[in-house]
Amino acid sequence: MDWVTDFWIPVIKAIVVVLALLVGGAYMTWGERKLCARFQVRYGPNRAGPFGILQPLADAVKAIFKEEIVPHHVDKAIYLMSPGISFAAVLITFAVIPFGPQIDLLGRQIGLWIGDLQVGLLYLLAIAGLGSYGIVLGGWSSNNKYSLLGALRATAQMISYELPMGLALLSVVVLAGTLNLNRIVDFQGQWPLIVWQPLGFLIFFIAILAESNRSPFDLPETENELISGFMTEYGGIKFALYFIAEYTAMVVNSAIVATLFLGGWKWPAVLSNLHPLAGVALFLAKVLVVLFLYVWVRASCPRVRYDKFMRFCWKFLMPLAWVNLAVTAVIVALI
Amino acid sequence: MATDLGAIEAQLNQAFPGAVIDRDGDWLVIEASRLPTVAQYLRDEMGYDWLTHLSASDYPDRFEVVYNLYSSRPDQQGPGIPFKVRVPDKANPHVPSLTSIWKSADFQEREVWDMFGIRFDGHPNLKRILLWEGFAGHPLRKDWHEPYYEQEHKPFPSRWPHAQQPKPRSAEERVRWRANVQYPQGFDPDQWKPVPEIDVLPAAKIDLNGLETDQVYVNIGPQHPSTHGVLRMIVGLNGETVTSIYPVLGHLHRNHEKIGERNLWTGIIPYTDRLDYVCPMYNNFGYVVAVERLMGQEVPERAEYLRVIMGELTRVINHLLAIGFQFNELGAMFTPMIYAFTEREHVLDLFEEASGARMMVNYYRFGGVARDVSDDWLKRCRKVVDRLDRKIDEFDTMLSDNEIFIARARGVGAMSWQEMVNYGVTGPVLRSAGLKYDIRKVEPYSIYDTFDFEVPTFETGDIYDRYRQRMAEARESVKILRQALDRIPARGPIQAGKKPWNPKVPAGELYSRVEHPKGELGFYLVSDGGTNPYRYHVRSPSFVNLGALEAMSVGHLFADAIVILGSIDITLGEVDR
Amino acid sequence: MLSDYHFIGVFVLVAIAFPFLALGIAWLLRPKKPNPVKTAIYECGLETIGDAWVRFRAQYYIYALIFVAFDVEAVFLFPWAVAYHRVGLWALAEVFLFLGILTIGLVYAWRKGALRWQ
Repeated sequence: MDWVTDFWIPVIKAIVVVLALLVGGAYMTWGERKLCARFQVRYGPNRAGPFGILQPLADAVKAIFKEEIVPHHVDKAIYLMSPGISFAAVLITFAVIPFGPQIDLLGRQIGLWIGDLQVGLLYLLAIAGLGSYGIVLGGWSSNNKYSLLGALRATAQMISYELPMGLALLSVVVLAGTLNLNRIVDFQGQWPLIVWQPLGFLIFFIAILAESNRSPFDLPETENELISGFMTEYGGIKFALYFIAEYTAMVVNSAIVATLFLGGWKWPAVLSNLHPLAGVALFLAKVLVVLFLYVWVRASCPRVRYDKFMRFCWKFLMPLAWVNLAVTAVIVALI
Repeated sequence: MATDLGAIEAQLNQAFPGAVIDRDGDWLVIEASRLPTVAQYLRDEMGYDWLTHLSASDYPDRFEVVYNLYSSRPDQQGPGIPFKVRVPDKANPHVPSLTSIWKSADFQEREVWDMFGIRFDGHPNLKRILLWEGFAGHPLRKDWHEPYYEQEHKPFPSRWPHAQQPKPRSAEERVRWRANVQYPQGFDPDQWKPVPEIDVLPAAKIDLNGLETDQVYVNIGPQHPSTHGVLRMIVGLNGETVTSIYPVLGHLHRNHEKIGERNLWTGIIPYTDRLDYVCPMYNNFGYVVAVERLMGQEVPERAEYLRVIMGELTRVINHLLAIGFQFNELGAMFTPMIYAFTEREHVLDLFEEASGARMMVNYYRFGGVARDVSDDWLKRCRKVVDRLDRKIDEFDTMLSDNEIFIARARGVGAMSWQEMVNYGVTGPVLRSAGLKYDIRKVEPYSIYDTFDFEVPTFETGDIYDRYRQRMAEARESVKILRQALDRIPARGPIQAGKKPWNPKVPAGELYSRVEHPKGELGFYLVSDGGTNPYRYHVRSPSFVNLGALEAMSVGHLFADAIVILGSIDITLGEVDR
Repeated sequence: MLSDYHFIGVFVLVAIAFPFLALGIAWLLRPKKPNPVKTAIYECGLETIGDAWVRFRAQYYIYALIFVAFDVEAVFLFPWAVAYHRVGLWALAEVFLFLGILTIGLVYAWRKGALRWQ
């Protein structure tokens, strides 16, 4: 057994990626507050460090030192586990996303991805389904009516929007002919898939907004009705985990969008061929663009009502995704 | 200001001989036992279909319950019929309830029961509304004294000699807090549960196609992001559908009216600021107009213009804020609200310069206003008005066509104006349902009759129409502001005579109303000729409008109920008083 | 290829360890002074009316039932989509038949009112 390849490389890779995602998620909270402030003609956080850049750190310290309050009526084991499940599920999703080419580091070939699975897309879909467990269990175990309503909404919403999401992905697969994300990125060397699949991109983007409970589809946590929805009874570090899970989910979902529709680290090839790290920078830039879209939507749209939202999924988005898939299939067959 | 009461009295006497037993100034006195039939007659036969105000006052030998009827019929809008009922039995006062005729009587009768202990026979849910069950006594009775009671009314005599004594120096030290807490007979605060209203809620099982579901009751408020303060609603839910809403009021109650009765006539003005803290100027306005009517006081022209300018600025910002909050409740993450607040800041800057305070302005005086403004102020005011005009258009382009907003607002919370009149709903909410009724037009006060403006109306009274109504009214206010700024006399007195420090108000009794941005703001005042009111009652628009909340919300979804509450536009300072 | 699963396995372990590590650190550092008021249920500062663990409306679960049917469909479609380039037009016809049957299912649920919020 080669300790370096079999143990140290995977462990270091995993820790680096997890830390990067953690920092990404934490700074997404800061980024969102800054951006929203800009949309609303205010300053946003500007006290902790220059431009409030240390705000996430301050928040983390506060969350860690905050008194633990476990309400006496909860289902304790599930209640304590749920934020962890939520956060872990988000992190695990990132495992198959390639964020750069293979690079030469200290004489070893290291691919800038965690695992290069043949069934990468299936893995994505499967793990994305896991995320709803954290929310549903947390909301149910809190034994609170707001939480319960939030959890029930989350159940129906997250599973419903998995279907249009899956169908949009199918169109990508039909074009690329593979489930392997590295191959899909290679496929986009010339043109990113958004050029062939603009509708697929839109459907997918709407679906992930719903999957990550983001405004205007943040129905499981609707502040104006359900206080905080499924996380009403959570405080301190447990709340922080839910919170950062949501923001890390945004980062991960943006990474998925960037990989599947915006050409991943590869497109445009002119730039990514300059230097191995140029690919990583390109990937990051695309992720940031998608994240900006997230915040933009949140700062400008009112929330959709729950019944209309479900109707939109089943009676509009699903058939639309279906038609999109059929049309894609026919066109591919004809060419 | 009275209608032809003689004719009405004659007509009533013909229909019900002996029902009108007396004439007390501008008020008809109706025999208590025949009140419901007379009221029914007034509503159905004579077209006075609108009970906007119901209150009471305590006299040494009797209680009087007073009613103010108005009409929605275009030919007899304007002054209404004030009438009252005398209740000589002070030990066990009873009056027939009018809730079966006017739903607007519901909350107001409960308030009278709460404050005076007058029972309304036939009221379906006669419970305390502003105070809690553990409150001993009925505070607006003259024989009820608060814990730190010193004197019947201000000005209190000097505390001079004994204030210098080492102890006790104040009422607070003389009487310890614990000794002052009283509970009604047989009331144990440790056993008390804040959910006594459960028995008015419907049965807790719902059968749907053989699937039995449990009814869920959820508290919304008092600690909730979107109840505009400390309102509590007990919402019955079946899934996401609202089956009942029971508002529980009084978390912010401070007995404004008792404070008023202890206070001097002038001393009440700053207290009115705290009623609807979003539009303090208009509360001042309503109060001074009422007292001036009692005093027969004239107001110089420049002061009248200043009053209208302040009042209409208030209306514009109130409507913009209401729209902003509305979108916040729809989940638009504060963006329109903060835009609205930006505009409000500009107006508050003007208020601050004119009155010295941004919110608690205390600006109006009997017969004038507190301070004059400079020419420069007027110039800047014009700039702000131009800016508001632009911003209203900007709001319009940003919000009116928003797809999600239209989908959520159309048809939600709709109510016909006839039903709204029955609930006593006034203001923009009523006009959005199609009734052209604006007190500035039908019963003009101040100098509103000299301005050229429209009363916009819409058709359905749903949330979208309420939004458009507020937009349209803000535009009309800008129109009034432009005219006022053009015509305001360059120089002139702002106070008739010398500033009244402690005026005596001639004995009398009246109900006076103004068109507050949220609806009809009425003051019911009784003076015994002294320096402080004998009875001081505020008929606040938010309080009465809230009565229609349940009817508007039931059957809609949970999310809609919140938005409907927001679209009624309440301020808790005014609801709870 | 096995090494990729190996990498992912390590990653999953680290990812699961992380949040629980955070919970553990916070558990060591934070104060804990519970009292009955602090640990009461949160319902806007008031005592609750009734329990939250009740028989709730079934509407939410109907979506879950429909979802199961359609998700299985999506799983069948993935292999088809991967092999699409190789099997050509015949697969297209076949999948349209498959989708057609499922569409009938959706139309049935739609007509039946299962998708209508009530």
